[in-house]
Amino acid sequence: MRFLRRLAQWMRLRSHGRDLAEELAFHREAIERDLVARGHAPAEARDMARRAMGNETMAREDARGIWLWPRLEALWQDAKVTLRGLRRNPAFTVGVMLTFALGVGANAAMFSLLDRMMLRPPALMRDPASVHRVYLFRHIDGVEGETGGQYARHADLVNGTTSFSALAAHATRQLAVGVGTDAREMRIGVVSASFFDFFDAPPAAGRYFGAAEDAPPAGAPVAVLSHAMWQARFGGRQDAIGARLQIGAVVYTVIGVAPKEFVGLWPLRPPAAFIPVSTYAASLIGATWATTYSSAFGLGTIVRRKPGVSIAVATADLARAFVQSYRAQSAAGGRAIELAELRPRALAGSILLERGPGRSDVAKVATWLGGVSLIVLLIACANVASLLLARALSKRREIAVRLALGVSRSRLLSQILTESMVLALAGSVVGIVLAIWLSSLLQAAFLPGTQPVSVASDGRTLAFIGIVTLAVGAVTGLFPVLQARRLTLTEDLKSGARTGTYHRSRTRSALLVLQGALSLVLLVGAGLFVRSLRHVRDVRLGFDADSVLTVDTHMRETKLDSAQTAALRLRLLDAATTVPGIEHATLVVAEPFGGMSSWPIWVAGVDSVSKFGRFEFNSVSPDYFATMGTHLLRGRGIKSGDVHGAPRVMVVGASMAGVLWPGADPLGKCVRVGLVDTVPCTYVVGVAEDIHARGFGPQDRSFYYYLAAAQFRPQLGGLFVRAGGGARRFIEPLRRRLQQEMPGASYVTVSRLGELVENESRSWVMGATLFTAFGVLALILAAVGLYSVIAYNVAQRRQELAVRVALGAAASDLIRLVVGEGLRLASVGAAVGGVIALIVSPRVAPLLFNQSPRDPVVFGTVTGALLAVAIGASMLPAIRSAHVDPNSALRAE
Amino acid sequence: MKNPPDLLPGTLDLLVLRTLARGTLHGYGIAQRVKESSGDVLQVGESSLYPALQRLLLDGYVKAEWGASENNRRARYYTLTAAGHRHLAAERKEFERMVGAIRLVLANA
Repeated sequence: MRFLRRLAQWMRLRSHGRDLAEELAFHREAIERDLVARGHAPAEARDMARRAMGNETMAREDARGIWLWPRLEALWQDAKVTLRGLRRNPAFTVGVMLTFALGVGANAAMFSLLDRMMLRPPALMRDPASVHRVYLFRHIDGVEGETGGQYARHADLVNGTTSFSALAAHATRQLAVGVGTDAREMRIGVVSASFFDFFDAPPAAGRYFGAAEDAPPAGAPVAVLSHAMWQARFGGRQDAIGARLQIGAVVYTVIGVAPKEFVGLWPLRPPAAFIPVSTYAASLIGATWATTYSSAFGLGTIVRRKPGVSIAVATADLARAFVQSYRAQSAAGGRAIELAELRPRALAGSILLERGPGRSDVAKVATWLGGVSLIVLLIACANVASLLLARALSKRREIAVRLALGVSRSRLLSQILTESMVLALAGSVVGIVLAIWLSSLLQAAFLPGTQPVSVASDGRTLAFIGIVTLAVGAVTGLFPVLQARRLTLTEDLKSGARTGTYHRSRTRSALLVLQGALSLVLLVGAGLFVRSLRHVRDVRLGFDADSVLTVDTHMRETKLDSAQTAALRLRLLDAATTVPGIEHATLVVAEPFGGMSSWPIWVAGVDSVSKFGRFEFNSVSPDYFATMGTHLLRGRGIKSGDVHGAPRVMVVGASMAGVLWPGADPLGKCVRVGLVDTVPCTYVVGVAEDIHARGFGPQDRSFYYYLAAAQFRPQLGGLFVRAGGGARRFIEPLRRRLQQEMPGASYVTVSRLGELVENESRSWVMGATLFTAFGVLALILAAVGLYSVIAYNVAQRRQELAVRVALGAAASDLIRLVVGEGLRLASVGAAVGGVIALIVSPRVAPLLFNQSPRDPVVFGTVTGALLAVAIGASMLPAIRSAHVDPNSALRAE
Repeated sequence: MKNPPDLLPGTLDLLVLRTLARGTLHGYGIAQRVKESSGDVLQVGESSLYPALQRLLLDGYVKAEWGASENNRRARYYTLTAAGHRHLAAERKEFERMVGAIRLVLANA
């Protein structure tokens, strides 16, 4: 009731005020009339009535105030006053807004990226805190690596543990969906029936598959579509249920559709459909799928801890089951497994891969960058705080007057806070626009091929922006508020800002030093990553990744024997060279930075080659070295005469030749390639430069050799093709030409070799570009901050400077005086920042490449840049100060 | 001039309601009536009277209407509502209890 009356009254606020004014006027006149009636003169009566009434406006406001939501009203008034003030000072307003916008925008974009990579639990997952991914490790040649992926291993974990209320198997595969011309490769979720129970996700149509349909011997051919797939392929119609759909080698019956938000564990690249792990494994591996340990297909395990079971207990339970699984494997395979050598280890880790033990370098760099963007925000805040502080200082007199007039201090403070809040809010709105744009850039660069998500439609990012806005509004408002609390009323009323003395604000100086220090830290980071990236780019990989396209064949249900496949590969090789612009083509089995292939080798005089490390090979045709641009150092490459029946030949990498035959001529040496040391010799006919097959570091240079494809498994592998200039342009023509050669439902895919290399170097690219972007942003903000403080100080010191001029100071003296002040502040900032950077930088060392984290070149350059910018920023006000006209400045006093 | 004594909190509302219980009045009329009936002891200033009237309006104890005054000026007249009558009775009882209690303290303590 009260609420309604209040609301009704509020609607006619203006007339309400008028009513009250009229009522009070009536009251005054009534008093006046009474006084006249008692014999006072009319003029006297009017004065007396007025005195008797006291402050009519206040009475009116008080009476009106009864109806208001008092706090809301005050806030609205403060906002109105603020807006008026800001409109009067557009340069300041726009500057502050942009500063906030840059800070907030950069942070929102980074948050959105980090959130998707490593913060957000999988959508719809029930109680994600109790769900873990299982990570399995074991040692090979003394090096620990991740393992797992077999169904049998997963089954052993299911049967051997007691800590979990649920376990599920999961994997994703690229599989061809559909038949004929509309067949497309899609990502398919291969999951156990229990997988769906981890989620609060009732199917949008139909049902999920149950345990009976996902069980030995073969599982049922049933599939659940993703919501997107249902819409795209079946137009969201109910008759999709029961439809038949070929996925990989099996024709599945659609039994259900997952709800819209359901993405399983894969928000970045959601699967198009989900199929039972039993059905898939049986079609892939055959009858032994459930018991064999030798066929892994990337199957992982997720678990849900029972209530009350700690993570440590869960991990121990898994470790026990894992060891037990190796014992079972040993017993089943008849081959002894040395547990002491394997040292198996299991872990109930984060459900998010990028937070697990195997997190990528990109994720690590992104985490650092998240911190960096916060620092940029901090610098932006320092800047705005400094500007607001300057404003507050220049409004000292106004504030003192208002205090004297009886404005309550709390009201005054709330007004100052309102100002910073309004600015933060306006900045954030611009920041959101900026963030939308930035985050789409970031996603394209660092989460390539993923489902794009707009900041504007992402509640979590918007909430983050909201929190950041409140925080920056409060933090930046704090400084002027503290300043206002210190006001000494009488002093300020008397002097105001117009005195000859000037107070250097210590808070503002401290803020400047802070900005300078933080900028230097960011710039050091930028320098380190830029140099790392340059080192990465300078690495001679041993091949030209950018000019090479890779061709993969996918046979699907088309069954060819070895001879037919070998013939098909040769046909593809011929066809590839007929495409205009294609310069060379070769057969390959392995892709550098992609997959490796290794096979035992035996060399006379060396008891075990594996003591040197891992030997990898590629099986290639004559044009290989021309295609890849790999230099032959000695001897010859593979020739067309190296066919089946001719002497077996190989080309070895320089390092391999060096370790196997130190000091001797490798040409003509015999290497036996095979499971036993009695296989016939393969003769070394050439030496090629080393290549990086796995990564950029020196430790990633493996021992590499090349066999003739015609002599070693001619039926295996794909093609490499060299395209002149802009390999990307040739992907589609090449694919179309090669597809003509493919029998039945089989198909080819073409991609760039450069893509694989770029994946490897992405963390440095990310570090270099974003550190630089943030570093430059920080530097600009710091420069603007310095400029505004120096300019303000110069304005404050006008009289002092004028006196100096009057006493004979030259323009250059004044410039030196003012620039010296800026330089002093910047130097202190650089020194503080330098110390911070020296302490922090070793922690990024693992993410750098051939780069000392305390590189004096980087530190020196960056410090120089900072000081140069400081000189530039203070030069402008300094020049202005040099033109002070002593006459007018002194007379103004 | 001696300042009018401070009213006990809440008593202003009570006085206004009681005054209006005898009939419709405008703001000045209420102030006059209170002054007269208290033997010139209580003076209700407009700075507290009008906020109090607005408060009573908001609570629905009085309603206001514009009308013509004795000398044909536009004035706002206040009337007690049914809820106002009830509230007055309750407040009055509460006030008597309070005053009684204060008397007891003054007499016996």
